[in-house]
Amino acid sequence: MADEALFQFLHNEVIQYIYKSAEGGETENGRNITKLENMGFRVGQGLIERFTKDTARFKDELDIMKFICKDFWTCVFKKQIDNLRTNHQGIYVLQDNKFRLLSQLSAGKQYLEHAPKYLAFTCGLVRGSLSNLGVKSIVTAEVSVMPACKFQVMIQKL
Amino acid sequence: MESQEEKPIIYTMENKPIVTCAGDQGLFTSLYTPLAQQLPREPMEWRRTYGRAPKMIHLEANFVQFKEELLPKEGNKALLTFPFLHIYWTDCCDTEAYKGSVKEDMMRWQNSLRAHGSADWVIVVVETNDAKKKNKTNILPRSSIVDKIRNDFCNKQNDRCVVLSDPLKDSSRSQESWSSFLLKLRTLLLMSFTKNLGRFEDDMRTLREKRTQPGWSFCEYFMVQEELAFVFEMLQQFEDALVQYDELDALFTQYVLNFGAGDGANWLGSFCAPVRSWSGLLLRRPIDMEKRDGIQHGEASLLDLRSYLFSRQCTLLIFLQRPWEVTQRALELLHNCVQELHLLEVSVLEGALDCWVFLSCLEVLHRIEGCCDQAQLAANCSHTVGLWAYATDKLKSLGELCGLVSDKGPTSEDLNRTVDLLAGLGDERPETANSLQSPYKKLKEALSSVEAFERHYLELSHAAMEMYRAIGRLRSARLVGKSLAEFYMRKGDPERAEAFLQEALKSYVSEGWSLPVTHTRKQIAECQKLLGRTEDYLQTSALLAGDVNLSSEERKHFCQEILTFASKSTDKSQKVILSMGAFAQLTRLQFHPATASVHSGADLQVELSLQSLMPVSVCVQQLAASIHFSLEHGGTHGRSKGTQKQTNIGTVDFSQGNLSACPLSSSAAGPSLELDEIQDRSPSDNSLNSTGMVCKNTHLVMRRHDSSSSPDTPNCVSPPTVALDDGAHMLKVQDITLEPGSNSVVFTAPSGDPGTYTLRQLCATVGQVQFVLPHIYPLVQYEVYSQEPLLTVEPLSEPLLAGLPQMVKFTLLTGHYTVKKGDALQLSNTETMPIMPSTSCTASIRNTAADLVGESLLSIQSSEKVTSISLPPTPPYHTLEFQLEVLCIIPSGSDRPANERLTNGEVRHRPRSYSHPDTPMTAIDQRMSIDCPWSIYSTLLALTFYIPFKTKHSLLSAGNRKYIQVCVQNVSDVNFQLVDVKLTEKQHASLELHSLNTKAQQLVCSKQSVFCLWEVRWKADLPSCLQCVFSANFSPLNQDISAFKPFHYHFQLERVTTLYSVQAEILPAAGEQHCRSGALCGLEVCITRLTEPGENEMGEESKADSDGLKTTKLMYEVADSSSNWAVCGKSSGMVSMPMLANATHKVQIEVMPLFAGHLPFPKIKVLKYLPHTAAPAIQPDPDSCVENDSLSLLDKTLDDQGDTASIRSRGSVHSVGSGEQQQRGLAMPRLEPFSPGQVFNHSHARQVLVLPATDDHIMEVNAT
Amino acid sequence: MAVCIAVIAKENYPLYIRSVPTQNELKFHYTVHTSLDVVEEKISAVGKAMADQRELYLGLLYPTEDYKVYGYVTNSKVKFVIVVDSSNTSLRDNEIRSMFRKLHNSFTDVMCNPFYNPGDPIQSKAFDGIVSGMMVQPS
Repeated sequence: MADEALFQFLHNEVIQYIYKSAEGGETENGRNITKLENMGFRVGQGLIERFTKDTARFKDELDIMKFICKDFWTCVFKKQIDNLRTNHQGIYVLQDNKFRLLSQLSAGKQYLEHAPKYLAFTCGLVRGSLSNLGVKSIVTAEVSVMPACKFQVMIQKL
Repeated sequence: MESQEEKPIIYTMENKPIVTCAGDQGLFTSLYTPLAQQLPREPMEWRRTYGRAPKMIHLEANFVQFKEELLPKEGNKALLTFPFLHIYWTDCCDTEAYKGSVKEDMMRWQNSLRAHGSADWVIVVVETNDAKKKNKTNILPRSSIVDKIRNDFCNKQNDRCVVLSDPLKDSSRSQESWSSFLLKLRTLLLMSFTKNLGRFEDDMRTLREKRTQPGWSFCEYFMVQEELAFVFEMLQQFEDALVQYDELDALFTQYVLNFGAGDGANWLGSFCAPVRSWSGLLLRRPIDMEKRDGIQHGEASLLDLRSYLFSRQCTLLIFLQRPWEVTQRALELLHNCVQELHLLEVSVLEGALDCWVFLSCLEVLHRIEGCCDQAQLAANCSHTVGLWAYATDKLKSLGELCGLVSDKGPTSEDLNRTVDLLAGLGDERPETANSLQSPYKKLKEALSSVEAFERHYLELSHAAMEMYRAIGRLRSARLVGKSLAEFYMRKGDPERAEAFLQEALKSYVSEGWSLPVTHTRKQIAECQKLLGRTEDYLQTSALLAGDVNLSSEERKHFCQEILTFASKSTDKSQKVILSMGAFAQLTRLQFHPATASVHSGADLQVELSLQSLMPVSVCVQQLAASIHFSLEHGGTHGRSKGTQKQTNIGTVDFSQGNLSACPLSSSAAGPSLELDEIQDRSPSDNSLNSTGMVCKNTHLVMRRHDSSSSPDTPNCVSPPTVALDDGAHMLKVQDITLEPGSNSVVFTAPSGDPGTYTLRQLCATVGQVQFVLPHIYPLVQYEVYSQEPLLTVEPLSEPLLAGLPQMVKFTLLTGHYTVKKGDALQLSNTETMPIMPSTSCTASIRNTAADLVGESLLSIQSSEKVTSISLPPTPPYHTLEFQLEVLCIIPSGSDRPANERLTNGEVRHRPRSYSHPDTPMTAIDQRMSIDCPWSIYSTLLALTFYIPFKTKHSLLSAGNRKYIQVCVQNVSDVNFQLVDVKLTEKQHASLELHSLNTKAQQLVCSKQSVFCLWEVRWKADLPSCLQCVFSANFSPLNQDISAFKPFHYHFQLERVTTLYSVQAEILPAAGEQHCRSGALCGLEVCITRLTEPGENEMGEESKADSDGLKTTKLMYEVADSSSNWAVCGKSSGMVSMPMLANATHKVQIEVMPLFAGHLPFPKIKVLKYLPHTAAPAIQPDPDSCVENDSLSLLDKTLDDQGDTASIRSRGSVHSVGSGEQQQRGLAMPRLEPFSPGQVFNHSHARQVLVLPATDDHIMEVNAT
Repeated sequence: MAVCIAVIAKENYPLYIRSVPTQNELKFHYTVHTSLDVVEEKISAVGKAMADQRELYLGLLYPTEDYKVYGYVTNSKVKFVIVVDSSNTSLRDNEIRSMFRKLHNSFTDVMCNPFYNPGDPIQSKAFDGIVSGMMVQPS
């Protein structure tokens, strides 16, 4: 991963750009969010290819999720996921108590309404990585008090 | 005993280490059995040299009588024949005997041992009781004998002499001595092993080190190391044995490689010799002696060496229960041998190796089958299947070599070749001679005849396929299948072949391997051609013709195949239907017009873009799209609906079925995510609880769809069964040429009957061949609608003003109706809205695209009842427009024509006027009824006009003199000018209305008013009721005189005459100059009768009193609205007035001004007082009666016109009504106000000066 | 040195396949396609396998008389297959490994190239270069 600061600044600007360039109305139906998420997806695909280049083959789904929470998260966000939970039915909840991309925004509820756009890219990142590892999924996110946030990964059973 | 001695040593694992026995043979023989039994019973730990792990081994021995020649000669490397231990047996117990014979014998024995440097010996002294008994005389203690022996022979190694007491007795003592004896024996044996093996290994190593030296021979070394292996095997140390062979294997391989790399070793010569025998592996014997000899004498070929080596490894592996390693090694070995022979450039008869490999594979498999049960075999297919497949291949290539595959059978030189090959097999081995299924027999048989070969080949192939399937290696199975198919093709059995090919093709297609797809498809094409399955063949050809993997020549060839068939003019009946996917692809479809919705009969064009996949340009006799027609949308709905329903469809792009047979990439699979932000707010205060992003179409994304993308039409082989439906409706074009690449074809769509047309299939006809696209997806539709003729009238300018000529636009949408010459619109006239005759009125005709097609002059004839407008001929679905000038007469006040029938029998609707919410103007709906040529019913159209003016009038009086004021308010947005404003009275000629208006012409700007005033003058007496007409001409500002239109306003005034005048005076308190606030002063009211009683006054409210003088009762009231005055005492009172001119009546009232300053006089009201007896006053006014019953119809109008007069009159009528009711109830006296002007109040608007009060105190009192 | 090098997508269709021009390309396509059987076998074996067997290099998939086929699978389930001529006995296992590593690195670069759309056939010249470096040079 490039220098973290650099990544953050770029990330912020991307969001700014997307939302500025979108003519009104698009924000309603979540076009921008989707755009950001798709960007993340493509990046994730490439990124995971690099990250897993030297790791052993994964045993199973859980093995993969652990990798995402540990190595992947550390590489991208300089810390591990604080808590990973699963129902063993293909739903995983990744909790980051100090999510890097939010920590600059606020500590609390200020700007809470803006939080989602700062999570979309990451959701895509995770989805892209998983899909490239052959795990089809949907990744969503939730924030109640920044900079903590939850990512929910819903995996498609094949 | 003897037998043992004679027994020749053969090298099998039955070998045991040799132990020689000297001394008392009889004694030994007696002990042999228990000894042989008990020796292996206890395991013994064997500590190894070179840090090899210690092993527990059970020792056995092969006891042979000691012979001089058994002892190894100098330099003899043989290990198996090596006696590891020498035992001397004796039971001598008396000194004499010992001294006499035994000692010498021992001595001799010892010497010969020493001579051969073998130090592994032991002397066993057996003592038995009966032996004691035998010679009681000169008994020595037994021990002494042993001692003697000990110090005679084993100097300071006493352990070399052991005692075995009473061996044949069953006593604890003998037990002990046995076990101790055995232990000793084992130890000594092991010691000997370690020593001798160690020495041997050292020698071996030194020998190996010499391998680079010229004289060195691999074969010799081989023998040496194998000796070691044998010994390990003998000791049941199979691992160690195997290691020896593997080392040899590696060593040899290395040599071969080096040889390949260039440095040849001279000893390799024998291995490079041409291969003469290829009898295959032989695994049934533990040791293949003849091969071993071959190696020993350096005559072995490479195959011999390899075979022998492997057979040994195999044997050991099976001892070790590792059969699957055998199969694996076998496969490597076979591959390897082939390579090595190649590397060493050994000349081999063509096919010989195939034989060898084939035999070997089967041999290995049989060996394995021999030592495993079925279950194991089944479970380990994955290990054996390779060999099966390999054998199959080899057999196949042999078959081809020997001409057993061609349907003609082998030629003579094929046969010669076969004979040579069989010669190389030699004779069958005795081991397999009596087994029916030996590889040898199989091969011989297979090569003997075409049929036999086929049988064996099929058997093998199927076996291989089955196994592959069983272990889920489907691709491999299919590959075998493919080669089987090729075999069938050679045999001229395409039917069987195709099945396999199809299966293979399916997998290649589904996994997107284009090259194999193409290749397999070519083979399939061949089959289908042979089978004469024209349809399939053509379909496949089509696919191949469009296959980019093929050279253009090949593609052209296949394309030509189709064309030639197509051009064959066979009977028309059999047409071949192929799927279009392979031939051309529909890329996009465009409608002109883009709305894809036209009225019936209009022309609609459909443009197809076709991507032709053929390598050459193809002439298509007919390209047709079948259409499904449905009425579901009903024939007749307007264009509007059509368009908005269809707009999206102007252009349809069809997804490309990718030709590269490359399935969609993972990312593209499945629907794309739709995400959105969510905000969760707390219900109490609207603050954010949390935010996040969610997926809106989870269910779609998560829907399971198998990852293997289903092959799309161009890939799948047989065309989908296309039911070519010959719909009545078709888009057709004839004789077009499709160039390679994209083409554009334009159709003219049928638009006969109204309804929805759905494009179903596309079909290109090339002679006998029809390429059909069974479903056009996404759905493509166009609409044809039919429309009723529609006549509309709309104002040219909003709003339409009543009273002025206004332009209205007539628009006629002809719809499906054709306007013929002579068709005319019949407008029935109404006098409320005449149509202005106009000299030149042109009608314009426009088509659907709204461009002008024609113009023509309209002729308009007007009779007094009907205006007929003759229309110019107009085609259907055109718009006819023309304008007419109409004038809506402003309904003036009270005149209202009774309803009457119109010419067309319609009830004439009286124009209704009402106030419109969004404009101050009064609106009038004008209905016109028009008879149209296309319908028997007449069309009713409404126009709304607005009256630009609101008019009010009022009566003003000054004493007896009367004035009439009319106010005209312009409520429109237009500025008008008013000219010759007139006011006339209808009934009374005598009456004169003297205009006080100076201006002849008045400008009335929008939202402004003009006031006009007239003085009423009269001769004799003023009539009580006036019927007035206000009239003026008006026109929008700055227009010529002709533009002026009249405007009338009717109203009536009643009881105009002034009956009473009221005068008032305010007199300051006595002695005062002026009134003071707070000080009482007098108000003197004087009511004077001005006129003689009028005739209509007579009846009412008057009663003759005693002297016949008529009086009337009046009521006065002093009411000060603006509370300037406090009225002290009674403020109202009754007066009875004599009904005479100038009769007066004075009233004094005390009032008190509450403020200082110029105060207006308090109001003084005078009202009629009607005693209950009096009959109500009813004016004999017919109008009001009519009005009364037509009230419902009218009141609104009048209110709005603010016709104060009629309001008054009505008001009175009302009061009358109410009066009547009251009379019917209880008769009560009541008050009735005078009409304005009947009473003239002089004090009106008068003021009096009031000075401030001198004394506040009083004022305060009074204020209360 | 390899005679054929192939990259195969998750879904088992070829992303890239190149073989020495001197030999019949089609044959290699068949060989590589068939080798997928063994690749899948080995991958599916992972479940029960020990950690040490979970390395990306799958080793010799299967030998044939004239070829040795080696396999490698990335964590993204993309397979690399290298076919070596059996006569080429000098080649050691670790050499094969290093070839695969090179291949994987280069493939990763391809994946991270914005002009590459994951799942499409590989056209990258850089990748081509790496591959030709590992191929038997037609002499």
